[in-house]
Amino acid sequence: MISNRKKRSWLICTGVMLLLAVMALSGCSTTHKTADSSSKGEDTSAQQATADKKLVMAYTWKPSGVDPHGDNSWDIMRSGAGETLVRLNEKLEPVAWLAKEWKQDSPTVWTFSLQDKVTFHDGKSMDAESVKASLLRSIKKSHLAKDLLDVKSIDVTGPLALKITTNQPNAALVSNLADPSTIVLDVASMKDEQSYPAMTGAFKIKAFNKDQSLVVERYDGYWGEKARLAEATMKFITDGNSRLLALQSGEVDVATDIPVDNAEVLKKNDKLQVLSSPSLRTHMIVYNMESPVFKDAANRKVVDNLIPRASIVSAIMRGYGTEASSPFPSILPFGKVERKALDGTPEQLLAKDGWKKDAQGTWTKQGKPFEVTLLTFPQRPELSVMAEVIQSQLLKEGIQVKIRKVENIDEALTKNDWDFAMYSMLTAHTGEPQYFMDMFYSSKSESNVSRYASKPLEDILDRLKLAKDTAQRNAVTLQALNIINTDLPQSFIVHPDNVFGVKKGVEGFTPHPIEYYYITAQSDIAE
Amino acid sequence: MIRFILERVAQLVIIVLVVSTLTFVLMRLAPGDPATILLTAHNVPASEEALTALRKELGLSEPLHIQYVNWLRDVSTGHWGTSYVSKESVLTELWNRLPATVELASAGFAVMTLLTLGMGLAASVQSSGWLDRLGRLFALLGSSIPSFWLGFLLIYLFSVRLGWLPSMGREDWTHLVLPALTLGAGLGAVQARVLRAQMLELGDRNFVKAAKARGFSRTHILFFEIFKHAILPIITLLGTNLSFMLAGNVIVETIFSWPGLGKYFIDAITQRDYPVIQGYVIFAAFLIVGVQCLVDVVQVAVDPRLRLR
Repeated sequence: MISNRKKRSWLICTGVMLLLAVMALSGCSTTHKTADSSSKGEDTSAQQATADKKLVMAYTWKPSGVDPHGDNSWDIMRSGAGETLVRLNEKLEPVAWLAKEWKQDSPTVWTFSLQDKVTFHDGKSMDAESVKASLLRSIKKSHLAKDLLDVKSIDVTGPLALKITTNQPNAALVSNLADPSTIVLDVASMKDEQSYPAMTGAFKIKAFNKDQSLVVERYDGYWGEKARLAEATMKFITDGNSRLLALQSGEVDVATDIPVDNAEVLKKNDKLQVLSSPSLRTHMIVYNMESPVFKDAANRKVVDNLIPRASIVSAIMRGYGTEASSPFPSILPFGKVERKALDGTPEQLLAKDGWKKDAQGTWTKQGKPFEVTLLTFPQRPELSVMAEVIQSQLLKEGIQVKIRKVENIDEALTKNDWDFAMYSMLTAHTGEPQYFMDMFYSSKSESNVSRYASKPLEDILDRLKLAKDTAQRNAVTLQALNIINTDLPQSFIVHPDNVFGVKKGVEGFTPHPIEYYYITAQSDIAE
Repeated sequence: MIRFILERVAQLVIIVLVVSTLTFVLMRLAPGDPATILLTAHNVPASEEALTALRKELGLSEPLHIQYVNWLRDVSTGHWGTSYVSKESVLTELWNRLPATVELASAGFAVMTLLTLGMGLAASVQSSGWLDRLGRLFALLGSSIPSFWLGFLLIYLFSVRLGWLPSMGREDWTHLVLPALTLGAGLGAVQARVLRAQMLELGDRNFVKAAKARGFSRTHILFFEIFKHAILPIITLLGTNLSFMLAGNVIVETIFSWPGLGKYFIDAITQRDYPVIQGYVIFAAFLIVGVQCLVDVVQVAVDPRLRLR
């Protein structure tokens, strides 16, 4: 005997449960529709799909869009869809890509002749006018492109010839044209919101699923060697452990940015392999040049000398890195620099500078102990471990270090309550030293985190802009590095490697120091 | 009912105003300059000119109170701003990610509800049997295993070792199984213990004894006398947890690369995408108040006495 009211209550409860179940199921089917519709009608038949080779990559970053002239340029370049006028070879030298050749007419004028028979993904031919429009758009949309190119004017001098005039002498222009922010596209394709950007790469964009994946497919009209893969998918998996598990479960063929601890796990799996390449990144210590302790160069030199670089490389980096002696790794011709030897032992240097050891073995000067604050941050966990190792090493020598972990290191460095800090930077992201040195060492730059000012160094950097050839540029850069290693506004600790987990059978995936070229025409999967 | 709705709307306006103002002030006080973060996304240094220009473009060179007034004016006219990162409307961005979050929350909620009802009822019927002991074990594990750990365990077992289910992404229903289990299992196991305790406590009440005396069957007494009363606090718990799932399942979304609101919110915090953070707070307030309204309606439907209060 159940009353009507009771029946109604139960009906409502049952209804709510059913509604939730339907929501869950309908949500799933919606996903299907979204994924299908996002391919924009460019279906490939099921038969073709099984016959063709497809590569899936677990990718660390999550682009917010597919416009290559903005914050997502690196992601588009890595997908194999975008190309620049110049690319960098494995020695990080600029070589021809969409530009066939170039020459410098004067310190501020360069002429480029372009490859012929290049077409955009929408079928239009690439010519000097379209390249000019693309470069102007990249300068307008990207602050980095604007800074790197420093363009005064671009003139079309022939169907496939361009003249670029810079505001100031910019000897790094050619290398800087390899930066992904200058990817060449058909500007008209950006006006159609229903289509993806038409670029010139071996792959064209097939689908972009925000927060999920970027799918590219072979472009059959490609001007160079055709892509061996029919399709490649970059799945955005920001969590390092999730990337590793996706690789182990076989859902992806390649996983980028494998933490070095996990590399050991992958090595034990006979279906997977670990690939690595030297990177252009440098893990370093930056000194606050306004710190009461570290404004004294002798104290910076002592700390620099006590950093256990060899054990950091072997124990913390597990061998995936090399000891650093300058901001630039030694794979670069201007990175081969010797660290300056200390003039005496740390004890002698400190004693000469007026420090005395107290009964507890701590160095003191005018009654104040040698006590310094070291900042570190969680986004690169290995830096915090390095900080602890350095703290322990300095303590052994009588130097007290307080470690403070901050959420945002760049913001923390703008304040004054720190003495030194762990830091990490890409130092030659176009294979060129100039942009980094201008930003990092100029007394006017906000990116000069050490607040270091050196007139001799800034004079050398001005000379670098006028250097005529590679040999001269390298020689001038080495002069600059000599000053940096003497003044020590930073201590360079290690150049970490780029580490990838790759399924056996994946071919043509060659880790490259420059980090732009992941999926290429040569990428393949063995039958 | 009209009064009920008006009360909820007033509540919503106050919550949104207080929470968003607090968020606005706290975000601006927190370290992290959006212009620096945006321009140094790949750890490539940025020039002073570029930083200054971007700060101006983002409206960050204005004094804080002017920024706040501008923001409040825009929100009150339905303009939730534009994401610093994607350059798209915040409302559109949130709206696009809502289906993924609702899908995951619904599936997690279904897992949680099934576990709560199934294990809770079974444990109360067999209050000292093996099902009860199993339920206690699950509750202990559910309350002590963090969701990120449970997620990785499930991925390791079902994706890496057995290869039965995908470990990440949102494609078909199979992608939903592991995140839904991670989200709902722990909470369901804990709630089952609450239901069990309620059922056992109510079993000694006079109205149950009266029903027994009138000769009702055991099943009838269990479902239509005891369970009907025991479910009321559970509905409140389910509602609270549904709000949590809709507004805060960040960890599960991160582990399983689930493209929902929670993950988007965390990314926005990392990138100091102020308009998105502000927008999310308002969005979450709507979701939470909306779910609480739904809970109230269901409670009134289940127990009509509540209408009189």
